[in-house]
Amino acid sequence: MRFLLVAGLVLALPMSALAQGTPTSNRLDGSGPPAAASAARLAPASVGETDVDFISSYYQQNGDHGAVEGGIGTQHLTDVSPTIILNVPLDSVARLTANVGFDYYASASTDRIDQVLSSPSSRDVRYHLDLGYSRTLKDKRTILGLGGGASKEYDYQSFNLAGSWTHGSRDGNRELSIGGQVYSDQVTLILPVELRTGTTGTGNQKHGSGFDNRQSYNLNIVYSQVISKRLQLAVSTELVTQRGLLSTPFHRVYFYNSAPELGTPGQLGTAKTELLPRLRTKYPVGLRLNYYATDLVQIRGFYRFYNDNFGIRAHTFELEAPVKVTPFFTLYPFYRYHTQTAATYFAPYLAHSTADEFYSSDYDLAAFTAQKLGLGFRYAPLYGLSRFKTPFGDRVAKFKSIDLRYGHYWQTTGLTANIVSVDFSFVMP
Amino acid sequence: MKLSAFFRPVALGLLLAGAGALPACVSVAAYQKAYLNDEDMKLATKKVETPEVNFESYREGAGGANGGKVGGGCGCN
Repeated sequence: MRFLLVAGLVLALPMSALAQGTPTSNRLDGSGPPAAASAARLAPASVGETDVDFISSYYQQNGDHGAVEGGIGTQHLTDVSPTIILNVPLDSVARLTANVGFDYYASASTDRIDQVLSSPSSRDVRYHLDLGYSRTLKDKRTILGLGGGASKEYDYQSFNLAGSWTHGSRDGNRELSIGGQVYSDQVTLILPVELRTGTTGTGNQKHGSGFDNRQSYNLNIVYSQVISKRLQLAVSTELVTQRGLLSTPFHRVYFYNSAPELGTPGQLGTAKTELLPRLRTKYPVGLRLNYYATDLVQIRGFYRFYNDNFGIRAHTFELEAPVKVTPFFTLYPFYRYHTQTAATYFAPYLAHSTADEFYSSDYDLAAFTAQKLGLGFRYAPLYGLSRFKTPFGDRVAKFKSIDLRYGHYWQTTGLTANIVSVDFSFVMP
Repeated sequence: MKLSAFFRPVALGLLLAGAGALPACVSVAAYQKAYLNDEDMKLATKKVETPEVNFESYREGAGGANGGKVGGGCGCN
């Protein structure tokens, strides 16, 4: 399999010399700092118009394998995450992008760090801001992008820098995009209450024993290709190396045996905080295939193979079938299937030995199968839903479209989740 | 039969199909791209889908490969 992946990339790279023009993201999942705009998005018609997207979501999950309590606690969690995405053309070749927002979340599991239900850890807000600048070079087929951003929450802050290069082919049928991100994170070490060695500190120190760091280096490569008038595909990879603290300090692990240095076992058994290696490398590769089957139905397919040095191997399939009920109203049912093997260092509650070098009872690292089923709709009339005057002069803005979707997610571990998200899209002159 | 044993040939088939399709592609002119320029034909994750991708990257050890739990936030507990 590895040979095939490498062979695929080697085959794809020489063809990139001819590359170009389909609208691709330079990341597998669209997350992180804004990517450089694709050549196809730099149409002259959009110059002077600012795109604004207001995206919001409500997410709720339930389960009984919370890692804070060693794999036996509640996983109840709710999250609300409003985000604004701006895309501002500065002139015919340059544009700015911004992604700003926050996550407000309430987690029953983190409440158990202190075993006190009213602890402040039961809820938190994460703020994030990412900015990007992209510029089309004189050849009109190459786009360079630079970006950076930061996020902050109670016990975690992260800074990132990003750069990207995108080149399209002369006929607009191929495109190669290469991007990289560097993340530098600082983690406040908040330990479970019974495992703290010193509790007399102040500020962040009072819950733990200092700070640790994490660095992540991502390299993403996307090659897209038009196959026919109705079919196009993209092959992508995102290679990741992470160094530093990769375990979560307030995740407990309970062992079936004891160790003298840990003293008398507590009520639930002998416990330590989760410990994982300080180096992780990930090798995912994805394939997107979009087919315009008929004027009524399109098919969007995605497959990803994932492998890492923690011992996790995974396959993910996604299928979406947009149905055009009218030219401006689209319904799209979607289905996702994911299966993964367990990390070498994972074991359930009371299944680890104190002799283990690394240990975790975080079910995110367990072997399971997950499925997601949902339905979305998009309404995008040709002349927009409405127009209104903005506070900035007498400019008239257009409410361009609304995109709403609901998904139900379930794992074989028992975790279930529901999510509703909406995107209100506007155009400012 | 183990799932991985089932998916291995499927994955191989998809990759080979993708690789096989590349040389078979035809040159499509800009004026012939009405279908390809359709909103639903974009080769990227939709913006409205981003929150789902984020929570999946937290809930699945193999998720996203987006730098892991960078930035913490939703679902990291």
